[in-house]
Amino acid sequence: MKCDIKSFLDAEKPDDYQERLKEEIGALNAKFHMLTAAVNSIGSGFPFSVKDNICVKGVEASASSRILSGYVPPFNATAIERLPKESFAFIGKTKMDEFGLGTFGINCDDHPLNPFDEKRVTGGSSAGSAAATAVIKHHVSIAESTGGSISCPASFCGVVGFTPTYGAVSRYGLIDYANSLDKIGIMSRSAGNIKYVFDLIRGEDPRDSTSVSTEISNRHSKNLIVIDQLMDGIDQRILKSFDRFLSKLQSLGYSIEHRSIPFIEKSIPTYYIISMAEASTNLAKYTGFKYGHKITDFSKGYNDFFSDARDSFGMEAKRRVVLGTFVRSAGLKGRYYEKALRLRSMFIEKLSETLSAGLIISPTMPSLAPKIKDAGSLDPIATYSMDSITIPPNLCGFPHISFPFDYIDGMPVGAQAVSGHFNDYSVIDFAGEWEEQFEYKFNYNAGAL
Amino acid sequence: MKIGLEVHTALPTHSKLFCACSTEAAEPNTAICPVCMGFPGSKPVLNRNALEISLRVSAALHCSIIKNSYFIRKVYFYPDLPKSYQITQLEGSVGHGGYVDIGSKKIRIRRVQLEEDPARIIRSEDYSLLDFNRSGVPLNEIVTEPDIASEEELRSFVSELRSILYYVGIDIDKEVKIDLNISLGEERVEVKNVTGIKNLIDAARFEKKRQSDLLQSGKPIVKETRSYSAESLSTVSSREKESDEEYGFIFDPDLSFYPTSGIALGKPVIASEIASSYGKYSGTVKELIMLDRDSLRLLEYGSKNSDIKNVINAIELLKRHRGTSMPNEGFGEMLKYMDSGLLPNEDAISALMQGKPVDLAADVIDAKDIDDEINRLISERPQLVSEYKANKKAFNFIVGMILKKHRVDPKYVSERLSAIIGQA
Repeated sequence: MKCDIKSFLDAEKPDDYQERLKEEIGALNAKFHMLTAAVNSIGSGFPFSVKDNICVKGVEASASSRILSGYVPPFNATAIERLPKESFAFIGKTKMDEFGLGTFGINCDDHPLNPFDEKRVTGGSSAGSAAATAVIKHHVSIAESTGGSISCPASFCGVVGFTPTYGAVSRYGLIDYANSLDKIGIMSRSAGNIKYVFDLIRGEDPRDSTSVSTEISNRHSKNLIVIDQLMDGIDQRILKSFDRFLSKLQSLGYSIEHRSIPFIEKSIPTYYIISMAEASTNLAKYTGFKYGHKITDFSKGYNDFFSDARDSFGMEAKRRVVLGTFVRSAGLKGRYYEKALRLRSMFIEKLSETLSAGLIISPTMPSLAPKIKDAGSLDPIATYSMDSITIPPNLCGFPHISFPFDYIDGMPVGAQAVSGHFNDYSVIDFAGEWEEQFEYKFNYNAGAL
Repeated sequence: MKIGLEVHTALPTHSKLFCACSTEAAEPNTAICPVCMGFPGSKPVLNRNALEISLRVSAALHCSIIKNSYFIRKVYFYPDLPKSYQITQLEGSVGHGGYVDIGSKKIRIRRVQLEEDPARIIRSEDYSLLDFNRSGVPLNEIVTEPDIASEEELRSFVSELRSILYYVGIDIDKEVKIDLNISLGEERVEVKNVTGIKNLIDAARFEKKRQSDLLQSGKPIVKETRSYSAESLSTVSSREKESDEEYGFIFDPDLSFYPTSGIALGKPVIASEIASSYGKYSGTVKELIMLDRDSLRLLEYGSKNSDIKNVINAIELLKRHRGTSMPNEGFGEMLKYMDSGLLPNEDAISALMQGKPVDLAADVIDAKDIDDEINRLISERPQLVSEYKANKKAFNFIVGMILKKHRVDPKYVSERLSAIIGQA
């Protein structure tokens, strides 16, 4: 499997390499806005960026929210702590939809632009991580997914994005969106890089009670399963291209099987109800007087003070706080939140059964990266429907990977492979095998040696 | 009258419920960390010791123990609550459906739950300060059913509960906050945050009178939250709108399910149950052991081989000399003397406590000698009996006479004296 981390570290580099890299990234950042701040100095290790909702000690972590601007965590996330300092060089924090709430990467100030077409979105919420990976040649990004925040931008920006099994990587230091769904994952230009970094950051952490030490397996299967319902509503050109991709895989020795999973479309409301319920409690702590954005007018009563502070949330955050509070309220909890929990258990059971027979394969997104103006004018339900393929594995905590399998009109198209719990290596290796005979394309290669 | 209580006590753990910060810091805002300050990115990790103590409380209150305990988020906005939600328990509580036996009846326990304390607010005239040392300190909340029907039952319940918690290692006198739900009519009145047992009794007494006055004059009792003032010995309306609070409880997904099966419990100590096995002495025994684990130890050790009357006398004697920490071996020796009618004095007790030999000639007196001496002195002064009936201080003369001759506990002499005069 291709992995350029060791070869990069061993390579003879010109004396001004770091300086040149810094300047190149700076120029690309001015164009695509993927980083939250200008690049300072870059160390000699392998360059890595970090999504802005993951804490790096001493570096502002705002989760791209105004309400958290100025928050400088006094600790490292475990995933960051576990990257050896001598081998990895931090280049900056990457922009995202505010608190991870978004599909296109446009729910923040000065949002990133797609390096394949700057009129198009990068996808979200790990928007800057995907854009940075698409423009920097030797690089990994520590990203995060709740409902598709790694797969979606990886697909739109033509990079490899891996979301591990829930609990395989510690969430300590991750600014919560929906704790039972949040997963720290990795983006890079090769499956090999991802495996290298995954092995460094995974494993049980005493500081995160939901992290586990379960051994990661590689029950690699030559069986690929297409879930018919997931193909509904996918752009025709993508479907045609996906069929060619499947034929190619068959010629490489994979078998393709079609299966049906009734009600899988209900995973979308299930996901949104659970994630909004949890988000509305996580976002409750932002009251404008302890960290980040502070209100200085103390003349009002508590309730008015809190209301003023919380006006700094963006529209999508407000929408999810309101809906999340609604679905967990005393009279309605049984109809929404508790029902969604039962549905999640059902989906985990059903899909685990399917995944014991092989990997689920599909296009990652139902369309190419939309134009920014089109994405911005979609109503919330239409936007949430864009996540129909990325939600099932995210809702159930299954490991999955998105990688480019074709280019249409110069835009990358991603495929997503899903595996059963703790069978993470199988999807990484699957993408690795694909990379053996398919060349990924990039318009920018900052720091190329 | 119907009274139900929610009793919150701090747990005797060294660190907080979800982080390693100390529970004992004095200087404000020194025992704090990203977890108990609610910093974005931090995660709670359960203090297993707190779970174990809550489990022991539940067992001592005869609760059924949940298989897997879990936590929920209770969401509300207040400056002392760093995450704007409190991590607490309801259905996932360790103990459900227990009782406390107060002799005349059983007061049912609905739930025993663990939760985190918010920060402390220190209010000043035109500003407030927050001390986060208290944020995250483990609290154990005991929720009763509304089974308490009188002040007497309230006192008995509190005294039983205090003893049960004492034997689990929780000192109710150190820190206790109680929500008192009390209703004489249809509507429930909640007196929030009453601190200490005395205030609880006073608040209940005041509410009983206030509500019965209202009922007698035909006025309605309003469903409301009130607070108790120890200065005015009265409760006042908190003017809070009394609707069913909306906390939007959800499972706390940062935490896990905590199995209780692997935790070794030991047999709970319920002092009044132990005392009741001592027949006619049960009242005396209960008083000795309710809040004194040393006395319980001596009682259980001594009553195996010695007469219970002597064991009680010996423990009372040790209590007077602050000597109940005496090791079992020393106590065994002491009982040997007492079983044979001998009385150890202070020097003998201190020798027994240190495991040193007792000077039989100087420090141990034959009880019969004392009785003989008392009888002799009374017979010399027959008028003493009638004098005593008028004025008990007439005793002091004889006690003084005896103490001149024997180094013996003056209280023992008075007791023997009244016993002998009572017969005379």
